[in-house]
Amino acid sequence: MRFDSKKDISPKYLLLVLTIICVVLLVMSYFASDSVLMIKKYTSKFIIPIQNSVNSIGLWTDDKLENLQEIEKLTAENEALKRELEEAKSTITIYQGKLDELTTLRLLYSLDENYPEFHKTVAHVFAKDSTSWFSTFYIDKGTKDGLFTGANVMGGEGLCGIIIECQDEYSKVRAVIDDNSKISAKIMPSNALCSVEGSLSQYQNGYLVATDIDKDAAVSVGDKVVTSHISERYHQGITIGYVSDIALDSNNLTMTAYITPTVDFSNIDAVLVITDTKKTIK
Amino acid sequence: MIRAISLAILIVINFVLQSTIFGFHDLGSITPNLLLILTMSFGLMRGRREGMLIGFFSGLLVDCFFTSVLGPYMFLYMIIGYVNGFFHKNYMVEDVLLPLIVIIIDDFFFNVIVYLISFLLKNRLEFGTFFTNVILPEMLCTALLTIIVYKIYVFINKLLKRKEES
Repeated sequence: MRFDSKKDISPKYLLLVLTIICVVLLVMSYFASDSVLMIKKYTSKFIIPIQNSVNSIGLWTDDKLENLQEIEKLTAENEALKRELEEAKSTITIYQGKLDELTTLRLLYSLDENYPEFHKTVAHVFAKDSTSWFSTFYIDKGTKDGLFTGANVMGGEGLCGIIIECQDEYSKVRAVIDDNSKISAKIMPSNALCSVEGSLSQYQNGYLVATDIDKDAAVSVGDKVVTSHISERYHQGITIGYVSDIALDSNNLTMTAYITPTVDFSNIDAVLVITDTKKTIK
Repeated sequence: MIRAISLAILIVINFVLQSTIFGFHDLGSITPNLLLILTMSFGLMRGRREGMLIGFFSGLLVDCFFTSVLGPYMFLYMIIGYVNGFFHKNYMVEDVLLPLIVIIIDDFFFNVIVYLISFLLKNRLEFGTFFTNVILPEMLCTALLTIIVYKIYVFINKLLKRKEES
């Protein structure tokens, strides 16, 4: 150390000098505190700004550290919440499924109550025609469950179709909207007979077509269309749909009505099959 | 001259750190005695004179800020720096054990003197509590920090030496 290389004082003397300075300062701070205050003032002027800046740095880092901890905490919380959400979502999906089933069964139950005179059994649709506007579908019950070819199938609020093929375990149902379907029906309350035909082109607009209505029949929009008593295959009085539009045919003898079906065929899940044959009902 | 300036900067840095960050982050209200480490390190590495001077100025800063009178800490740091200077002949660059032992003794001595002056004379006689609650934690804390900081000082000293020789 060469603060002053020319006069290299021995450490002993330096110690002595510094000790004396210490003592002098000590004494001075007791007896002449003003002069000591000067020293304090100048050193503080130099040091305090540094301390302040360091303090602010400290505060800043502390803030950041806290932020980091907060982030860690929040991330963990986020993870946990996400997991919880996943679980909740899966639970909701399960319940949704159950709820859907419940709604369907409730609908079927109310349908069942609407037609107390029939014996019915519930069947589930397990396959549909691969076209989006299907007109035939398969249900998971067959002859083993007492079904037979020609049994009426109900869904939604009314008639859905008829079984055209019945195997042991499953049956094929032709819906009323199928182009081959033709049902003898009557329009309430005027009791005008007609035949309700499925029409693929009309079903694009959401209609079934009821033809051969007597032109004098008092049919108006909103009338209910039900299966008629003269039908061989369909039970009497099952709702098919409601009249939406009426037009006079070109032969001037008959009218054609457009009917909105009561069953939503784009979303069909469970159906009721009437296990009675027509003849048993008198 | 470079040495004087860099040492002055070191003293200021250490003082500021000791009075702000280490107090602020509240290591169990125990502050490692950075200035003592500085004094000890340079006393050990450079001998009595430099240890003494660094102690003197470190003490001056402490006195200016934390005590009502100028002198006591100055004297204390100075003496410690001076005494540590005697170990200069045992100094080896790679040795960590010697500074560790010296700093523990230094810190103990330092704190006992502070206790004697500012507590015992006020009739605070329970040395045991002070020892376990203040002196011992500070000694450990300072000793732990010494292991790291001492290496830095050795490095700085080496740089300064190279500068002076060139």
